[in-house]
Amino acid sequence: MVTLSNAGRWLRAALVWTILAALVIAVLYPLAWMISNGFKTNAELFGNPFALPASWGWGNFAAAWQQGVGSFVLTSVSLTVLATVLTEAISAWAAFGLTRVRIPLNRGFTVLILAGLMLAPTVALVPLVKMFQSLGLYNTFLGLLALYTAFRIPFTVFLMRAYMLDLPREVDEAAAIDGASKTVTFWRIILPMSRPIIITTVVLNVLTNWNEYLFAMVFTSGTGLQTLPVGLADLMSKNGTQYPLVFAGMVMAALPMVILFFFCQRYFVRGLAGGVGK
Amino acid sequence: MTSAPASVRPAVAGSARAALVRPDRTAAPSWRNIIWLIPALAVLAVFVYWPLLQNVAFSFLKWNIYSGSQSFVGADNYVELASDPVFLKALANNTWYAAISIVCQVFGALLLAAIVESVRSERMRRAFRSIYFIPSAISLTVAGLLFYFIYQPQSGLLNAFLANLGLGQYAQAWLGHENTSIFAVAAMSQWQGFGYSVLLFSVALQRIPVELYEAAAIDGIGPVRQFFSISMPLVREMTGLMMIVTVSGAFQVFNEVMVMTSGGPNNSSQVLGTWLYHAGFVTNNFGYASAIGVAVFLITLALAALQLWVSRKRRVEW
Amino acid sequence: MRKWKTVSVSAVVAVAALGLAGCGSSNGPAASADPAAQPDFSGSISILTAFAGKPMDSYFQDVIAAYKAEHPGVTINLSQETDDNAVKDKEKVLIASQSLPDIYFSYAGNWGQNFAENGLAADLSAQIGPGTSWGQTFGPGSLSAFKYDGKYYGVPLYNDAKFMGYNKAIFQKLGLEAPTSFEGLINDCSTIKAAGYTPIAFGNKDGWPGLHYLQQLFAYNVPRATLDADLNPKTATWTDPGYVTAMSQFTELVTKCTGDGTNSNGVTYTTAQQQQQSGQAAMYYQELIEFDAVNKDGSQLNKDGMGIFQLPAAANAAGDPRTLEAAPEGYMINGKSKNAALALDFMKFATSAKNASVLSAPPYGQPSAVIGAVTASTSSAAVAAGTEAVNKAPSTLVWLDMASVPSVGDAWVSASEGLVSGDLRPNAALKAVQAASEKAK
Repeated sequence: MVTLSNAGRWLRAALVWTILAALVIAVLYPLAWMISNGFKTNAELFGNPFALPASWGWGNFAAAWQQGVGSFVLTSVSLTVLATVLTEAISAWAAFGLTRVRIPLNRGFTVLILAGLMLAPTVALVPLVKMFQSLGLYNTFLGLLALYTAFRIPFTVFLMRAYMLDLPREVDEAAAIDGASKTVTFWRIILPMSRPIIITTVVLNVLTNWNEYLFAMVFTSGTGLQTLPVGLADLMSKNGTQYPLVFAGMVMAALPMVILFFFCQRYFVRGLAGGVGK
Repeated sequence: MTSAPASVRPAVAGSARAALVRPDRTAAPSWRNIIWLIPALAVLAVFVYWPLLQNVAFSFLKWNIYSGSQSFVGADNYVELASDPVFLKALANNTWYAAISIVCQVFGALLLAAIVESVRSERMRRAFRSIYFIPSAISLTVAGLLFYFIYQPQSGLLNAFLANLGLGQYAQAWLGHENTSIFAVAAMSQWQGFGYSVLLFSVALQRIPVELYEAAAIDGIGPVRQFFSISMPLVREMTGLMMIVTVSGAFQVFNEVMVMTSGGPNNSSQVLGTWLYHAGFVTNNFGYASAIGVAVFLITLALAALQLWVSRKRRVEW
Repeated sequence: MRKWKTVSVSAVVAVAALGLAGCGSSNGPAASADPAAQPDFSGSISILTAFAGKPMDSYFQDVIAAYKAEHPGVTINLSQETDDNAVKDKEKVLIASQSLPDIYFSYAGNWGQNFAENGLAADLSAQIGPGTSWGQTFGPGSLSAFKYDGKYYGVPLYNDAKFMGYNKAIFQKLGLEAPTSFEGLINDCSTIKAAGYTPIAFGNKDGWPGLHYLQQLFAYNVPRATLDADLNPKTATWTDPGYVTAMSQFTELVTKCTGDGTNSNGVTYTTAQQQQQSGQAAMYYQELIEFDAVNKDGSQLNKDGMGIFQLPAAANAAGDPRTLEAAPEGYMINGKSKNAALALDFMKFATSAKNASVLSAPPYGQPSAVIGAVTASTSSAAVAAGTEAVNKAPSTLVWLDMASVPSVGDAWVSASEGLVSGDLRPNAALKAVQAASEKAK
C-alpha cells in the first residue's frame, strides 16, 4: 500500500470499515429479527417490529417441531447428501473417461454431456410429470433422488473435466508402467489429486439441492416426503395466523446448514482455494 | 505448469485442447472404454434429454390434463407465445434478474472481496467472509419467507425502518405493487447470494502472488488502480465461472418468486419458470407450457453459446 | 407447390409429435369405479382434504379413528391441504400425474365439472341422488351444486357463503348499524376510520379475496342472465356496463375502507383475519366457514361480539340485490378407484348426523350440508345466522374463479390484483378478461 497522505489513508480506512460494517448489519439484523420473532406472541409480532419479545419461551419451537420441521430437515438432508454423492461419483467417472481414457467420438460425447449445462429444469417439467406417472416414480424418494442427481451432472462434469485436463499426464503413464489398470489409476491417483475440485462441486451441488423447490413441489404429494422448502411453504399456509410459529420453524430449518458450514468452513475454503479458477 | 495447477478452462478452449491432447498416448480409441461414460449418459438420457425431446413434441399439441387426450395443433402454441404479454414480461423480469445479479454478485462481490482482503487481520477477514456467507447457508425458502415478512406493509421491518429514518412517504407494499414486486424479490436474492460469491472471489484473490502488488506499490500505483489492473484481470476465470453460474441461475429462478409472490400481483413478477408452471398447472394448458419450455431452452442455449464465445479470450499468464 | 410442402412438413411433425407424446393416453383402459359394490373392509383408501391447519385438521383425523374402530381392517391414508391456493395447486399436480386419491376435495362449479366430464369422478346418482335414502339427508341445493349433465357427482360436506363480519362493540360505540346500502357502507367506513380503527381488514396476496368482492358486486350490478351467459366462453361477451360499475365500487371500497388500501396485495388473508380477531378492524369480508376461526374463544372479537350482514348493494343496482355469493364444498370419489364402495361407505360415515353436527359446531364451524346439523344450540350464533341466510337466499352464485373456466378465472384473479394496486383500470381489466374468454372458446 502506498501512502498518499495520512488523512487520505484514514479516510479510505474509514470508508472500508463503514462498508464492511454496514453489510454485517444488513446480514445479521434480519437474521436476529427472525430469531427473536420465533419467541414472540402474535400480538407482539403485529406490533412494533423493533421490539424484543417479552418472554423467551420455547413454545413456538416445540409446536413447529411437532408440525414436522424435523422430518422436513431429515428428508432434505438425506436427499441432498445422497444426490450429491451420486452426482459426484457419476461425474468424476465421466470426467475421467473424457480426459484420460481414449474413447471414440470423444469430442461428440463431451459436447453431449456439457449440452445440459444451461438446461433449466422447468424445460423438462411437463414430460417428467407424464413419465413419472407411468414409471410409478411419482411421490417417491427415489424419483426425486434421480432428478436431483441427473440435473447436476452436466455442470459437475464441466468443472471436473476442466480440472482433470490440467493434471499432468505423467502420473497416468507412470501408473500404467507399474501395471495399474485404468480403474486403479482413477481410484488411487486421479481421484485423490482432484480433491479440491470435488470439494468445490460438492459445495455447489449441496447448496443447489438444498434449495431446490420446483421438483420437490411438483413430484411429491405431502405424505412424509416433503423437503424443507416445500414443507416450510406448507407450514406458512397451514398456520395462517400463527406467524411466530412459522418463524420458529424457519429458524430450526436454517440451523443445520449454518452449523455445518461453520463446522467445515476451514476445510471447505481450503478446498475451494485449490479448486476453482484464478 | 506447476504440479497442482488449478484452473478451470473455458469449455470451448478445453474441448479444442481435448482434440489436440490425446488423452492416452499409448492406446487406440476403443468402444470398450465407453463404460466410463455410460452412467452419466444413461442418467442424462432418461431424465434430461428424453424429456427435452418429448417437450418439443408436446409443444405442438393441445391436451386436456383431466382426460389426457391430445390433439395436434401445429405451431398454435408458438403463435400464442409470440403475442403473450406475460411471456414477454417474464422474459424481461428474468433479464432484470440476471442484470441485477451480475452487478451485485459478480462485480459487486469481486469489489467487496477485494475490500475484505485488504483488511490486515486474518481473523477479521475470516469473520467477514463467514458472516457474509450465512444467508447462503440458510435455505432459499427461509430467506424468501423472511423477506416476505420484512416487506409486509404494516408490520414489516423495512417500512418501519424507513419511517424511523423519516422516509415514511416511501413506505409501501414492496411485493404488492406491479412496479416493485420483481425488484423486491431480486433484492432478497442478492442478500441471499452475495456472500457466497465474495467467498469464491476471496479465494481467487488470495492466489494472486503478493509480489505483484508489492511491485505496483513501489511504482506508486494506488490500491484502486491495483484493483483494476491486477486483481480484476487475474481473477478473470473466476469471473467467467461466476457469470455462467449467475446468469444460468437468473434464468432458472423459480423458488424465490413462488414463495414470495407466486408471480403476482397481476403477473408482474412472473418469470419464465413460474409462468411455465402457471400455464401448466393453473390454467391447464400443458401444450402451451411445453412451448414456453422450448423457448426457455433456446434462450438459455443462446446465452450459453454467447458466454462460451466471450470466455474464449486468452487467459492471463505470468 | 409451396402449400403442399407445408402440409407435408406439418404432417410429419404431427406424426412425430404424437409418436413422441405416446399418442393419447398411455394408461390403457382404466378400471372404472363401482360405488354400488359391497365395501371391502380389508381394503385401503386415500383421501385429500382441504382441512389442513389448526383447528380443522383434527376433524378428519377423528372421523378416521372412529371409522377404524368400527372397521379395524381398513387402511386410510390422509393428506390435508389448506382451503385456498394450496389445495388448488396440489390437485392440479395430482390430476396431471394421474394420481388423484380415492376421495378428494372439490369446489362446485367449473372445478368439479372438469372432474365429472373427464371420468375422474364416479357418478353417484344411484347412491346420493334425490330420492335415495342418503341423498334425502342433504339440502337439495347443495346436492345440485355438484350436478353435471343430469348426474350427481359430489358429496357436499358443508355450505359456504360470503358475509361481512363486523365487531358489534365497535359499531355500538360509534352508533352504527349494519349498513343496508353500498353507499352507507362507504360512509360508515369514514366514521370508523376517524375513530382510529381499520374499517375493513383486507389482504389480497393471492388475488382471490378481491375476486369474492367482485363476484358479489357483479351479481348486484349485472343482470343474472347476462352473467350466466358470460361465464360460458361460448356465449360470453363480457361487455355489460355493470362490470365496470362493480369494479369501480370495488376500488372505491379498497381505497376508502381498507387499512392497507393499494398496498393490500402485500398482505395475506390470514393477516386480515388476525386484524379482525384482535379488535383492530371493525369488519372483515369472510366466508361462512371462517367464522369460528376468526371469532375464536377468548379473542377480542369474541368478547366484543361478532355480527354478520350481506355485503349491501348500491341503491340503483341493475342486477339482483338479493343474490348471495355462496356455494357448497364437497368431496368426490375417484372414477378410477378400485375401492370406490369402501370410499363411499366412509363418506356416508363422515356425513352421518352425529359427525355433521360435530362439523357444524365450534371449533370447526363448517355448517354441514346435512339437514338439521346446524342448530342454534350446537353451532355458534354467527354460523347459525349465516346458515339461515344461505337457506333463505332466493338465488346464489358460485365463486367467480370456480364458476369460470380456468383461464378466465385466472384473468379475473390478475384483474383483482391490478385493481387493488391501482395499476389497472376497470376497462383494461375487462379487456384482458374478454381476451382470455375469447381464447377459451
